[in-house]
Amino acid sequence: MLDDVISELKEVVFCLRAGQVTLGYPFRPHSPEPGFRGVPHLDMEKCIGCGACANACPSRLITLSDHDSYRTVEFNLIRCTNCARCRDVCPEGAVTMSQQFETAAPSLGDLRISLQLKLVRCRECGAAIETQRMARKVLEKIPESLGLSPQEVSWLDLCIPCKRLQALHDPVLAKDVTS
Amino acid sequence: MTNRLLNWCFKKSIWVYHVNAGSCNGCDIETVDILTPYYDTERFGIRLVHTPRHADALLVSGPVTRQVRERVLRLYDAVPDPKLVIAVGTCASSGGIFFDSYATCGGLDKILPVDIYIPGCPPRPEAILYGVAEALGLVRPQIKAQTYVEA
Repeated sequence: MLDDVISELKEVVFCLRAGQVTLGYPFRPHSPEPGFRGVPHLDMEKCIGCGACANACPSRLITLSDHDSYRTVEFNLIRCTNCARCRDVCPEGAVTMSQQFETAAPSLGDLRISLQLKLVRCRECGAAIETQRMARKVLEKIPESLGLSPQEVSWLDLCIPCKRLQALHDPVLAKDVTS
Repeated sequence: MTNRLLNWCFKKSIWVYHVNAGSCNGCDIETVDILTPYYDTERFGIRLVHTPRHADALLVSGPVTRQVRERVLRLYDAVPDPKLVIAVGTCASSGGIFFDSYATCGGLDKILPVDIYIPGCPPRPEAILYGVAEALGLVRPQIKAQTYVEA
């Protein structure tokens, strides 16, 4: 009898010493540990619309579509498993993993990111080639030491089939082939 | 008046029946986590029950496989009105990486009306807690659609 009382008193002491263990979460903010991967965050200014993330995404939630003069990059984050492959492949570092975990939403539309980037169209046939940001990137990466003529640089706004045709009819290249 | 009273009562104590609809068990472990003293959902009156007939909410994890589809529908019918349907995890919300698989229905919203989606793979216990609180109207949704058009 006395033993029981003593053991219960002991338990009371333990519980009192432990204090409050429950997290005050919904009422007090909670920040996850540093390595935590939340939903991906897309830097709209950095993204060039290359589609590397769309290729890498295991749940195929990133889609690219070209219409009129815009390329639409769409993230349908409801399918996101926070695997961070899009972050790993992004050449511009536009995708980062945020720490946000409070992603609960009453409708699917809340979990969408859509980004419209201007397109470069082929000057011969009008097919979509790449976004203007990508074209700018390519121009930046061509070293001046290559000494490209303005005509050669102008091939950048041709699609691949048109570029082939152009090369066939180019007198300089044609001479190269025949000789 | 009775409706308002019902709504008020509903929010004060919500009993949840947990369904594993083909989940990998990740979301289930996180769901069990929120019942521990550390997260302690019973302070909101949320507790797990053992039969759908006692439940107010159906908490579903997993992409809803073809095998389990009919059982989930029967469970939904067994829950008395008014009822909440909570999709926990990316799989239940949309099918996740199994969205186009022949063996799954590709998400709970294909077969049932879902009240709240809690994506995450698995969602943190805090995220589940937040989602349920959001479904009850205690907190506001934090995530919004983002659009951008290049000028």
